[in-house]
Amino acid sequence: MGNDVLIDRSTNIVVIQIFEYNGSAVVAMVGKNCFAIASDRRLGVQLQTIATDFQRISKIHDHLFIGLSGLATDVQTLYQRLVFRHKLYQLREERNMKPETFASLVSAVLYEKRFGPYLCQPVIAGLGEDNKPFICTMDSIGAKELAKDFVVSGTASESLYGACEAMYKPDMEAEELFETISQALLSSVDRDCLSGWGGHVYVVTPNEVKERILKGRMD
Amino acid sequence: MKLDTSGFETSMPMIGFGSSSDMLDGFSSVPSFDLPRTTDFDGFQKEAVQMVKPAKGTTTLAFIFKEGVMVAADSRASMGGYISSQSVKKIIEINPYMLGTMAGGAADCQFWHRNLGIKCRLHELANKRRISVSGASKLLANMLYSYRGMGLSVGTMIAGWDETGPGLYYVDNEGGRLKGDRFSVGSGSPYAYGVLDSGYKYDMTVEEASELARRSIYHATFRDGASGGVASVYHVGPKGWKKLSGDDVGELHYHYYPVAPATAEQVMEEAAAE
Repeated sequence: MGNDVLIDRSTNIVVIQIFEYNGSAVVAMVGKNCFAIASDRRLGVQLQTIATDFQRISKIHDHLFIGLSGLATDVQTLYQRLVFRHKLYQLREERNMKPETFASLVSAVLYEKRFGPYLCQPVIAGLGEDNKPFICTMDSIGAKELAKDFVVSGTASESLYGACEAMYKPDMEAEELFETISQALLSSVDRDCLSGWGGHVYVVTPNEVKERILKGRMD
Repeated sequence: MKLDTSGFETSMPMIGFGSSSDMLDGFSSVPSFDLPRTTDFDGFQKEAVQMVKPAKGTTTLAFIFKEGVMVAADSRASMGGYISSQSVKKIIEINPYMLGTMAGGAADCQFWHRNLGIKCRLHELANKRRISVSGASKLLANMLYSYRGMGLSVGTMIAGWDETGPGLYYVDNEGGRLKGDRFSVGSGSPYAYGVLDSGYKYDMTVEEASELARRSIYHATFRDGASGGVASVYHVGPKGWKKLSGDDVGELHYHYYPVAPATAEQVMEEAAAE
């Protein structure tokens, strides 16, 4: 948040907020035997917008997605590392990883870099045994936070908490879940200078993955 | 500096290198942490600093052309990353023939413009004629100069029409005052200048000039995170100022760049016969 910006009066320099360097918003919600994960599409360098099609959510396997917010270079590198680890797992175990296991893997990978961390906050969403949806988020050094309803991360996280709390209902079907998560995302990023410029939503049910791009305010 | 990792030691024999490697899944070697080699272990991450002057989060512009002065601004107020309002009036009506734009601290700009309006009215009453744009901007600049160094944040343009014709001055909190034909102030000003400078001609009609001003603000709101909301455009002519339009930039984007309906992305193919 802007109020924490420090100005070092002795040298008159502004300490940049490293988590707010690129700007991001990621949210995941649980529905009835389905889940939805959504992110904004902006890539910026502080206030300047560089791209409006940045991919923040990535597929690990058909029923497991990870959305990463924070510093964009770490988002890309961490994603590549995790896909690598998952592919090795698939070769050894001849099956896909369960979401709970993957969350533990991400937590361990992040804690390995405890004293020089990856500057991102992951949001993990997947369908586990019996198609039970699983979501969790973590801080940049791997502290897992499991939730039954929704998880948020990014520069717009405070607005997202408010919007999700107000709009969420348990046991929503896929279409209603899509509407809810889209409205929560768009209304939250409209209150954040550093995220927005469109939205990207994945709704995952046991049989299909629907990917949609949201038309949002481009300011 | 070596950390005490005796708590991690297992009965497994050590493989050549100490740090965990992805290929071995981190299980086969003795775990240890990569430690950064630096003298300031606790503070080195805070030292990502940048010599950046805090920019005034807004986009305002004004230019003189054949038919008078065109003034335009966005309407977003931001506190760091948070958008506190999308409907701020950044074009302040000092009196019926003079406008001021707001960039920087909202309270500072609102107060000092109102104060300027008071001084202009007192001048009219004392001298039985309207104050010139040059005089009004000088009053403001001198007032701001006397508060120099006290942390006021004002980046304003005074636009008006007086006996000498259209007038445009840029005044800021350092006490600087510049006369000119084209100005843009705020964090979105580089983007607005790009569009404004390439489309500007002195001989424009009011419609062409207002479209240029609207487009410049729109492009600045697209690229700059601290600008957005509504693009307001005002025109100052011989009879005073008039508000021409106030368009939501979210809608302007799809007006300038309509979304073509996507064609089907996958073609159904016959399964190859074995």
